[in-house]
Amino acid sequence: MAKIGLIFNGVWSHYALATAPKYRDLYRLLYVHDLDGEAVRDLDALAIPFQSNQAVLTEKQAVIYDFLAAGKKVFLEGDSSTAWLDAQWEDRPVNNYWWVTDPTNPPVSDTNYEHPVYQDLTPRQACWHTHGVYTRVPASAEIIQTNAEGEVITWQTQQYGGTLLATTLDPIVEHGVQQITHLDNYVDHLTEWLCGVRPAPERLTIDAAVYGAGVRL
Amino acid sequence: MLHALLISNGLQGLEKYYVSNEQVQYTTCLITKDFDPDLLPYDLLVVPNGSDHVAMLKIKDKVRAFLDAGRALVCCDGFFTAWVPGNQWVMDNSRRTQDVRYAPGTDRHHLLDNLDLDQLNFSHGMSGWWACGYIEAAPGADVLLADTWQRPIVVLDEVSTGGRMLLTASGPLADVTYAGQSDSALVALYRNFIHLLSTSSVPAHG
Repeated sequence: MAKIGLIFNGVWSHYALATAPKYRDLYRLLYVHDLDGEAVRDLDALAIPFQSNQAVLTEKQAVIYDFLAAGKKVFLEGDSSTAWLDAQWEDRPVNNYWWVTDPTNPPVSDTNYEHPVYQDLTPRQACWHTHGVYTRVPASAEIIQTNAEGEVITWQTQQYGGTLLATTLDPIVEHGVQQITHLDNYVDHLTEWLCGVRPAPERLTIDAAVYGAGVRL
Repeated sequence: MLHALLISNGLQGLEKYYVSNEQVQYTTCLITKDFDPDLLPYDLLVVPNGSDHVAMLKIKDKVRAFLDAGRALVCCDGFFTAWVPGNQWVMDNSRRTQDVRYAPGTDRHHLLDNLDLDQLNFSHGMSGWWACGYIEAAPGADVLLADTWQRPIVVLDEVSTGGRMLLTASGPLADVTYAGQSDSALVALYRNFIHLLSTSSVPAHG
């Protein structure tokens, strides 16, 4: 039975990950326009991917904070809005070619590898590219990753009851896109941290039967 | 002047890529729970990268009627639900991105003119950066670009409906020069399609 709710904006990369044979028993797609407390009641964790609809998340923020208040985990990636999150995200140019042009200067320069999501990851597995930075985070936040300028990439707080882990990395979207082939490492760590189940140690594959007429929504 | 309806999923930055100009006037339609836009006032429907294909599936009959009325569609995203008449995008990761190269096919309307294919093949020396998966194209549709394995990546379909559809396998198309980005192949292809729609006195199906 699925343990992680993937808040879903109708974007294909979200769908590709949640319907991949490797993950489909652990993730449930939650269409953002239908999101309510009942939809998340039996879940252990929520994942809010990059390319989410921030305006609708703002409307539905009570669902997220009630979920945290119940002591559960929420993972947030990519951008966010101050309209629903007490943190300031700012856009920055995306550099997804640093490993070709400037391999000694990755977008993340410091990582707390003690965090369960990052334990045993290599630096390349812990950062591929970032979508912006946080210039302000909650006072209680623990900083997990920063860039060379000291700007926050990944942070975590327990101030809402459960654990909120936020990052400007985009593991869910990029793993769904499959143009970066080492993201099984990060997403498997993340999945295990969110729900306590380690996905099978294999590369993500696609089930073509769930595209088009066979779509599963 | 074309009148285009731009479907927006509320994603950051979209409005910078589709800026009204002398050839096309954009109206943005933000997807909501009750998404049900009136398409017929428009000449062109633009479904950009990062769109909501659950919402598009809900209006598939409207899209079909819109196209049968001789109008046009650009969908440059992974249309994983079955809302595009005659064509279906499918994700696939069984081929190595480093082996991806695009080759031109049938181009009766010169949509590939002034297009540097190497810009779609490589970004900073990396291949496979632009599109994902492939399109199961309608029989008789023009495959403008195919990949290394002869799978359709860009399709112009003038046969499945009474209108025109320009479809990519999730390869973004937009005039990103308005956002300060360089004039590149994905801009050229988009502009060429806009030019075709703007200047064509002959509707699809001739």
